[in-house]
Amino acid sequence: MTERTAERTIAHAPSTPSGPANLADILERVLDKGIVIAGDIKIDLLDIELLTIRLRLFVSSVETAKKAGINWWETDPALSTRAHRDAVDEENQRLRERIAELEAAEGEERPSRRDAGWDDERRSHSWHHVKEADGR
Amino acid sequence: MTRTVEQPGPRQPLRTETSAAVATYVFAVCRGGDPAAVAGLPGQAPGTPVRLLRFGSLEAVVQDVPAAEFDAENLRERLADRAELERCARAHHSVIAAMAGSAPTLPLPLATLYLGDERARVALRADERRFLAVLKRITGRVEWGVKVYARPEAKQEPDRSAEAAGAPGSGAPGSGAAGSGARSGRAYLERVRGARQDRERRQQAGLAAAEAVDRALRGIAVASRRLRTHETTLTGERGVQLLNAAYLVAEGDEHDVAAAVREVRRSPACRSVEVEVTGPWVPYSFVDGSFVDGGEPDARG
Repeated sequence: MTERTAERTIAHAPSTPSGPANLADILERVLDKGIVIAGDIKIDLLDIELLTIRLRLFVSSVETAKKAGINWWETDPALSTRAHRDAVDEENQRLRERIAELEAAEGEERPSRRDAGWDDERRSHSWHHVKEADGR
Repeated sequence: MTRTVEQPGPRQPLRTETSAAVATYVFAVCRGGDPAAVAGLPGQAPGTPVRLLRFGSLEAVVQDVPAAEFDAENLRERLADRAELERCARAHHSVIAAMAGSAPTLPLPLATLYLGDERARVALRADERRFLAVLKRITGRVEWGVKVYARPEAKQEPDRSAEAAGAPGSGAPGSGAAGSGARSGRAYLERVRGARQDRERRQQAGLAAAEAVDRALRGIAVASRRLRTHETTLTGERGVQLLNAAYLVAEGDEHDVAAAVREVRRSPACRSVEVEVTGPWVPYSFVDGSFVDGGEPDARG
């Protein structure tokens, strides 16, 4: 919160109804603008831009959502690497169990592969929306 | 399949312990900056001071950050996390805003990193002339952001009223199914056409209002720039964003900005729109190469 105090030294916003600078306004400046020089460590800003666009879908209402106790972005794999990791862990766990099962049943019957990849499908689906938003 | 289970196999390269290694994170370039302006800020690595690094006739606002946390892979992962992205973006912005309070400051985009002060100094020095040219342009000026939203129309339900208006002529309910069918078909088409014309009128009015706002602000700005408008889905109940622009204005002219906005808000042209102003910002939108000097706007509708 010290950040906000510091921010007011210049980016105070007398005519902004929402008080301290809005996240979308900051993001579009610190990601898209500024004077670019080549650094030693390169990150793909495109990844972030995709996220930003996704972020823009709710950034204006995030405070409202927080007040209402809605925190879907924290569990959306496309928005949170933590959630993503959880999803992967979960999938790993499921696959391990399946392997154990198959090994136990080895030789008795051919395994069914019906379930393979369902999680991947779901994930690529959510990214599809991001691309759509990007195309707009 | 069994390969996924532990296998000695080819040796994984051991992660070298890089906890001691530091990288140099560059926030901004400034001229005659006061180190005290940023000394107490957390920056990107709370605990290590944000400081000035001299190069040529200028200074860079830098901070030592743990190299391991700021390599490409980790950085990408961290910035893909919403909360972390917000934290980093606000921290970056805070340092820049604080320094701009003490000296002309050129903001760098998020996450410009070097493998140490020497590497940073070499890279920065190579661009010194460019920095000086841009500093000259922005010194004594600030950026104001202006957004125009179409005011969401009051939820009038024209369909209901049109239906009600058509009803008296059709007599008692249930009489002559074919006749009332034809009539309601025509009424439907008229409604659709009416709604479309309404929408077009509103769009025209909205765009005209956005132009009026832009014209008013360009009148007092040294330069202006259109930014991408935000998605309709973002603006939500605020309505469609018709204009997202940045204006470079002389420091101290904020009263002119306020007056221009007040006036344009009052004008009949802007009855259907909402005008939002943010700032003053460090001139983020006026420091890159694509911006043409000379004071004329670079884009119009």
